[in-house]
Order: sequence, then structure tokens, then C-alpha cells
Amino acid sequence: MVNGKRIDGRGVEDVRPMKIVARVLNDAEGSAYIEWGKNKILAGVYGPRECIPRHDQSLYRAVVKCRYNMAPFSGAEEHGRSGPNRRSKELSKVIKEAFENVIISENFPKTEISIFVEVLQSDGGTRCAAVTAAAVALADAGIPMKDLIGAVAVCKIDGQMAVDPGKEEDNFGESDMPIAFSPRTGEVLLFQMDGNLSREELARGLELARNASAKIREVQMEAIRKVYDEPKEDRFLLIG
Amino acid sequence: MPGEMVSDKPERISYAFVDKGKTYSTVVGLFSEGKLVPLEGPYEPLPDDLIVGIVSEVRFSGYSVDTNSAYAAFLSSREIRERYEMGDAIFARITKTDETRSIELGDAKKLPEGRLVRVSAVKIPRIIGKKNSMVDMIRANTGCEIVAGRNGYVWIIGKGDSNLAEKAVRMIEAQAHTHGLTDRVAAYLKSSKKA
Repeated sequence: MVNGKRIDGRGVEDVRPMKIVARVLNDAEGSAYIEWGKNKILAGVYGPRECIPRHDQSLYRAVVKCRYNMAPFSGAEEHGRSGPNRRSKELSKVIKEAFENVIISENFPKTEISIFVEVLQSDGGTRCAAVTAAAVALADAGIPMKDLIGAVAVCKIDGQMAVDPGKEEDNFGESDMPIAFSPRTGEVLLFQMDGNLSREELARGLELARNASAKIREVQMEAIRKVYDEPKEDRFLLIG
Repeated sequence: MPGEMVSDKPERISYAFVDKGKTYSTVVGLFSEGKLVPLEGPYEPLPDDLIVGIVSEVRFSGYSVDTNSAYAAFLSSREIRERYEMGDAIFARITKTDETRSIELGDAKKLPEGRLVRVSAVKIPRIIGKKNSMVDMIRANTGCEIVAGRNGYVWIIGKGDSNLAEKAVRMIEAQAHTHGLTDRVAAYLKSSKKA
């Protein structure tokens, strides 16, 4: 931190530039593509559809499933190979549990709702970007939800709390704390923390994240509106 | 938008829910005059819906029917006089559903050879139009019979220009949320017919 500016020139309350395009995949019920800083993530939603394997299904509600995957070329050094590993299983689980709180799954007994998240390029905060994109994909699929959720991380750099850490700030900062909010109620749906924070720092971090999540929601709503305001002939053509 | 307030009183509105005395939307939709119309969404079967289905399994006592939803429907042989084979398209009425979403069909009729267009179930009312206006218009301009099932399957019976009919259906699906759609579809059908 130099003169209150961070490594990429941002202030502590600044979120990296974010762009979301909804409805990019033809065969998914709902989909979204997000570019958040240098993160590039694609999210697709399928379902409600018949739950397979049968022993997973519930007579009372739809089962939410999530698969988070990093592409082998996504950038982080240790991801020479793709496929499930400890990290991606953890992230699939936390993303799934965040959405289990908002999806009204009682409407669709015996089915599953699958969320697929592919990280094409990573630069810190992929789980937050994944949650943000998946929420847009679910809304695009028309799956009833109690809220359009968003997530953002906060970190501690040089003793100061800052929002939305990039890869360097995440790796070399003192602490990193991804949080997902339900903006309607202010409920916390995902909360993880690396490193240590004092009570005051935690409160400041939550405040920063809450402010940032309002901005994130704006971008999400804009993406959904755009689907209907400017319908595209071919969903897959992002360019042009 | 999901989580957006549609009313500050507790109200029973479909596709909305009540929390702490206020009513919120659960879907991306258009809200007007106390009604919330979703723009996208899966098919939720209701009794008396007329649907188009594809026979997916022939069983001893009846047929399993694919309904464009997570739930297969059952059509008992007792209800019908015809016999079907796997892959046949049928037009039928839902006689019974329950909370586990098992669907029973009745009043089934086999559909003649045609093509299936899968659209979002919430857009079917637009494809049918007010008093069948949209379907009638496509029929008049393309010579194709159109059967639109509530479940989002549209069956185009190809005696005429079924390519054009399919394009028109897709156009309605893409622009279902806009005003003045009937006129635009009419213009589109007319201009394509000349070409």
C-alpha cells in the first residue's frame, strides 16, 4: 500500500471492473459469463431435471448440485491438471450451500438443479465471481429464488482492510475473507477466512463487503435486463 | 428480479413469496396490476393443462410420456382406444397431478407427422395469442397446423412451409416480452412469403 493506493492503483473500497453477460450458452437452461478483474468464468445451469443417481433424490425438494472446475490453463501455478481436487471440491460445496439457502427447491420434488462453473482464467476471488455469475445464470434459467445473491472477498493488506483482493493481495496479504450476501435480508450465505482478523477488522470487512455487494447486484441486474432489451440472434457470439 | 419487492403488504401472488409482511418476487418477470409474469422458467404441470408429449416408453398398462419437464407423465391404456409406439407425439390433457409431481394423462390423441419445437413453457400463451390469434395467423400464412402444448412443446404439422412456421414460433419466443408482437410477426410472415 502506497498513499492509500493498492498494487493496481485502487483504493480500499474499490471493486475491480466487472462485466457480466447472461444467456451465452444455447443448451443450458440458464448461463452467464463474468469478467471480474482478470477472472474469466463461465456458469451454466441445468434443471430442474430428473435427479440421477436416484438415491440422491428427495421426495420433498430439488437437490442443488454444483461443480466448480478450474481449466488447466486458468493460470494458477498448481493447476497443471484439471479434474476434481481438494480445492475444487471445497468450492463446489460452499457454492452449493450458498444457493441452497435461496433456491425455492420445494417446488420441484424429485429433481436436481445443477450449477456448473468453469474458471477459464483466474486472478484471485474466483469463488466470489463464481457465485455472482451462477446467481445470474439461475435467474436466467427462471428458477425461483428468494434473492439474487452476490459475493465478494475482503482482505487485510499492510494492516488495512480492503475489498476484492486480486491474486497478489490474496497470496501476500495478511488475511482473506470471501463472503456471500443475500442483499434483500443482509444474511450471510458464505463465509470463509484465511489468516487472522481482530473483531474490529472483521466488522470493517463486513461493512466493506456489504457496500460492494450493492454494486455487484447492480451489475447482475443490468446483465439480466440486457437479455431482454437487446436480444441476440446467436447466443454464443460474445464478440461482435 | 428475484428478491425485489412487488408489494409492501403480504399478498398471494404466484411466483412471489411473503417475508415479514412484505411480498417479494422469486423470478425475473414483469409485474403489473398485481400479477407477476415470469419471463423464463420450467414447466410446472397443472390439472387440465393441454400438453404435447412424446411417448418414451410402452408399458403393459400404458405409456410413459416425456413432457418437457423433469417429470414423466403416465397415460393409462384404459383411457385410450389408439395404440402408440415409442417416439409418437401425442396431444393430451393432464387429469391428475400430486405433490410428488406424478402426472396422469387422459383424452389423448396421436399427432400426425410433424416437427417438434421446444420453447420455454412460460411463452406458450404468447404463441397461442389472444383467442388463438397468433396460431391462426401462422396457420393462415404457412399452411401448417400448429399445436402448442402448455408444457412448451410446439408441434408443427408440415403440410405447408414448416420452416417458416418454426421461424415464426422462435421469433415469438425471443420477443415474447415486447409489445406489438402480433403486428411484427404478421409483417414477418408476409415479407417471407413473398421472398
